[in-house]
Amino acid sequence: MTAMPESETTCVVVGGGQAAAWIARTLRTEGFAGRLVLIGEEPHWPYERPALSKAFLQGTGSVEAITLLNATLAAEARIECWLGQPVTSVDREARVVTTADGRSVAYDTLFLATGGRARRLPGLDSVPAERVHTLRTLTDSERLRGALAGAKRLLVLGGGWIGLEVTATARGFGVEVTVVEVAPRLCARTMPPVVSDWLHTLHESHGVRMVTGVGVAGIAATAGGVAVTLADGGRLEADQLLLGIGIEPEVGLAAAMGLALDDGIVVDAQGRTSDPRIFAAGDVARHPNAFAGASLRLESWANAQNQAIVAARAALGGTGVYADIPWFWSDQYGMNMQMLGVPGLGTRAVARGRPEAGNGCWLMLDDTGVAVGAVAVNATRDLRVLRKLLENGRAPLPDAWADTATPVQRLPSRPNVRMD
Amino acid sequence: MTEWHDAAATDALGDDEVMGLSIAGVPVALFRQEGAFFALHDLCSHGAARLSDGFVENGCVECPLHQGLVDIRSGAPCSAPITEPVRSYPVRVVGDRVEIALDL
Repeated sequence: MTAMPESETTCVVVGGGQAAAWIARTLRTEGFAGRLVLIGEEPHWPYERPALSKAFLQGTGSVEAITLLNATLAAEARIECWLGQPVTSVDREARVVTTADGRSVAYDTLFLATGGRARRLPGLDSVPAERVHTLRTLTDSERLRGALAGAKRLLVLGGGWIGLEVTATARGFGVEVTVVEVAPRLCARTMPPVVSDWLHTLHESHGVRMVTGVGVAGIAATAGGVAVTLADGGRLEADQLLLGIGIEPEVGLAAAMGLALDDGIVVDAQGRTSDPRIFAAGDVARHPNAFAGASLRLESWANAQNQAIVAARAALGGTGVYADIPWFWSDQYGMNMQMLGVPGLGTRAVARGRPEAGNGCWLMLDDTGVAVGAVAVNATRDLRVLRKLLENGRAPLPDAWADTATPVQRLPSRPNVRMD
Repeated sequence: MTEWHDAAATDALGDDEVMGLSIAGVPVALFRQEGAFFALHDLCSHGAARLSDGFVENGCVECPLHQGLVDIRSGAPCSAPITEPVRSYPVRVVGDRVEIALDL
């Protein structure tokens, strides 16, 4: 086990995103006095990513507003930041991290917050690079914003959260958007059908053309843009193409190090990997989630921040565990959606208010009556009160949940267990 | 200069409740804790969210957008992602009215 580090010990954080920044900041605020090195592959100071598909893409957000660590803060907290430097190897025996330009640093405790890489599709080589986009980094967002400024038509491959948020932002610019999703419905990996259907209708009402349940057979360049051939023989043309088909966790380094992997780096409830000197957090880490009763790899803002904080404290001897109920949000067309738990596991939706009309919350129950999650539309307070109940192992009585005459704080509740 | 402004009736809020007000154009979140009143600038120091839409518990208000915690009595940040304090305004009770002091 890692003992409380002395002032001559070194913590190294591999990664330059939100989780990496919170690990470094937390180590200092929790009293770590030794050397602290953060090594990021991106050239930017660590930043939060949610705005990249929303305000920042729109041009109303600034880099400063999303930056978590800058030269001043890093100097104050004595965090050495090596930016724009991919790590090429970690020697676990010698405990040395080496970067692409040959710099190296020895560690006592290592943190991997390497995040993920946007997936691409094969067959894109013939399409000019300036017409094909992914959205993961600040650079990606700036590049896409520039491209949208001169575009009339955008084709989005992938009807998940990134694809839909970019779609909503692009519609705000007046760009025509077509979304192609191979699954029969939108956000099918995380959402129940009632939410997928609502998102579908919402986007169509804003003039988006939705093509679901159809795969892509080919992508080719045209004189002025990109053409996509669909598996059903259809053909779509656009000026710009966005691939919103998810990320791959960046596990190359961890794999080379021989750490336990399972679609991400396997960690315990404190963020510890199969090597007790090495922790992982954020998009790359798969953790045991008490609420879900399963191991999860979450790609959310809250997970990146809070799992990182737990891991940093654990490395300093803390006993806290990461036990948050999964939570994330999306903003589309001026609506705030918040997702709690694992709503996709629900088979029965109980609406409070009218979420489909832009003000309410679906409580999702599974076949046994257990509340597994919720999706709120412009109803943050309902969701927050529900979170409190679920954290306490309770769930509202479904009939009471549906009755808005009962104030949300006074909903009768029951233990959140099987009802059979 | 500092001026006292009428904000609300004392019975307009129960314990652990919050209301959003606009006083001389300034957004203010008025809280009641154990019978006493406290006022914070009604904007989270992290993101563009109204603290008066937040969740009150254990002397803190939780931002509705990002779940950061702010101390209701002082405006001090209590949890990530909030690192900057939220401005706190003086409050007094005159008869059955709550008044808030603003520097305008």
